[in-house]
Amino acid sequence: MLVVNHVRKDFGSVRAVSDVHFSIDDATTFGLLGPNGAGKTTTMRMILGILVPDAGSVTWNGAAIHDESRRHFGYLPEERGIYGKMKVREQIAYFAKLHRLREPEVSKRVDSWIERLGLNVYADRPCAELSKGNQQKVQVACASVHGPQLLVLDEPFSGLDPVNAEILIGVLGELKANGTTLILSSHQMWQLEELCERFCIIAGGSNRVEGTLAQLRSAWPTRVVRVGFAGTEESSEYTVPADTDFAAMLREFVAKGPVTKFEALEPSLHEIYLRAIGENAA
Amino acid sequence: MIEDFATVYAAEIARRIRSRPFIFGLVIGVLGITLLTRLPTMMGDAFSGSSTIVLLGDPSLTARAKPLLEKEYTVAQVLPDQPVDETLLKRDHAGAAFVLGRAKDGLHVVVYARDPGSMGQRAIARALLPLQLEITLNRSAAEVGTISRIPVTVQPLASKFTSANQAAAVRGIAYTLIFFLYLLILLNSQLVMSSVAEEKTSRIAELLVASVNPTALLTGKILSSATLGLLQLAAWIATATFLGGNGIASDRGTTTGIFSFASALEVITPLMVVAFLVYFLVGFLQLATLFAAAASLINRTEDLGSITMPLVLPVVAAFFIAIATLGAPDTPLSVACSYIPVLSPFVMFARIAVSNVPVWQIALSLAINLAALYLIALFAGKVYRVGMLLYGRAPSLKQIWSVLAS
Repeated sequence: MLVVNHVRKDFGSVRAVSDVHFSIDDATTFGLLGPNGAGKTTTMRMILGILVPDAGSVTWNGAAIHDESRRHFGYLPEERGIYGKMKVREQIAYFAKLHRLREPEVSKRVDSWIERLGLNVYADRPCAELSKGNQQKVQVACASVHGPQLLVLDEPFSGLDPVNAEILIGVLGELKANGTTLILSSHQMWQLEELCERFCIIAGGSNRVEGTLAQLRSAWPTRVVRVGFAGTEESSEYTVPADTDFAAMLREFVAKGPVTKFEALEPSLHEIYLRAIGENAA
Repeated sequence: MIEDFATVYAAEIARRIRSRPFIFGLVIGVLGITLLTRLPTMMGDAFSGSSTIVLLGDPSLTARAKPLLEKEYTVAQVLPDQPVDETLLKRDHAGAAFVLGRAKDGLHVVVYARDPGSMGQRAIARALLPLQLEITLNRSAAEVGTISRIPVTVQPLASKFTSANQAAAVRGIAYTLIFFLYLLILLNSQLVMSSVAEEKTSRIAELLVASVNPTALLTGKILSSATLGLLQLAAWIATATFLGGNGIASDRGTTTGIFSFASALEVITPLMVVAFLVYFLVGFLQLATLFAAAASLINRTEDLGSITMPLVLPVVAAFFIAIATLGAPDTPLSVACSYIPVLSPFVMFARIAVSNVPVWQIALSLAINLAALYLIALFAGKVYRVGMLLYGRAPSLKQIWSVLAS
């Protein structure tokens, strides 16, 4: 279990993170959201032990992050990096060794990841010769080859075409099924809405909202009701308080005339996000 | 930590041994050595000792000899006859003391030189010939032949050399070794710098520091480069030995004042070997660590030159001071520079090669350098840790300082 306990991080006079807190159970997919400059990357770096919080703490399975726990972490940073002259196979093997895997396990896992990500054709070619999407797959393999217990992915879908995005979603699903805890950060809300079980939206370096999508929706103050009437093609939309008695509302509409459609829409993650960061702006 | 280091070390060796900069350095070194052994006369001037002298003896002779000798030498002081010792030379940073006396056939000159090889007996006799003729005016014509040959005896003083050949040989090898040091330290430090810059600019740095302890990462890089440096050195020494052993170098045993590579190889002392290795490692570790820190702050490889220039200049200066030190190892400048970190690996090595440096001075120099290396490692390690994660506009000194202080 990962616990981020009210962490703070300053860089000189700049406060990058003022108060971020959440906890993630094992084998959970967690979405960390926020606008640019919200403190997501700094928070991720603190989780990974790259940066040390100035206040608060980060614990993994009850212990502070240290070199040994870092062995079981994987990281795909937002700014992709790769050794251009190194061959694909060598690159993945290097990261496997950095995570203390040894032969023959290294070769076995490298082959497996090359196969899984469809990189066989490129395995013995320098990474610089690969397309951006294929380079990104190499980086995913580098971050995952050791079978991490915690995998942090910052904007993992940016630059991927729909086919490769599907491959990545499949890989993440397999990792999760094998017990890996995933932390995802992305601006593509629909993908996070599909993948993640819990979310934390941060802005200005501190928590705005945190919880499951159902919890976030239950805290939303209004609902949009879409009603269709016989004889008209377009539906009408009504914004009502969240605690509205929708059955009573439907009865009222039916009493006025034939109703062809009646639906109370839950807020999307995108709407929740915009409202959360809007509150911060205010 | 050790395992991280070993993984990074092995990967860096495998990666860099095939890299162009390493192969380029290796070839340049071999070509340089070949050039040095084939064109030893190019280095002749560098091997001449100090031209400053002290003149002693009968005041009636020294007063008349002074203007004659000043055409060739700088006469720092004229003194009455007295015992000559090292202190006398050190006081005026002189390379030799000329003691003039009268003998049966006229003038007699004894030269006490730090570097006997740099004292041309014929040149001294020629310079003093007018004085010889003046004091032997009444001799018969038959004696003129004898008179014109002024006996000049050259004796080593405050010198580790016992002969002119040996002095020239040691200077030659010292020059070559300083050249090696310069190439090894600078080329290999630049390899470390390029490697850090590549990881920074290719954005792989963040992935690396998330996977491995940054200290192990930096240490693995620097020590792998040191290993490759020693490998280069072995190749260069093999070339030098081969060329020397095959008589390609200048003639063995000549008294031209130019070193013979073959004889030079015979005069390398264990102290020189140890000093070379120790000062290579100290100098390389200092510079490579500073280069790595500097490289971690750049965002584009184009910025490398501007950020490392202030670090290269002292090394170039150290090289030239070390070459000058070969001729005058005890000047205040040479002695002072032999304690200054970054400079001292070159300058102290030059002093050790051509003079008898007191043990306490070597110990003090090493202590200062190791202390400096520790401080550099602390400072550079922190800059590296922070710098590898900094992107965007190049940080100002104030920003770097505030981040380091945080």
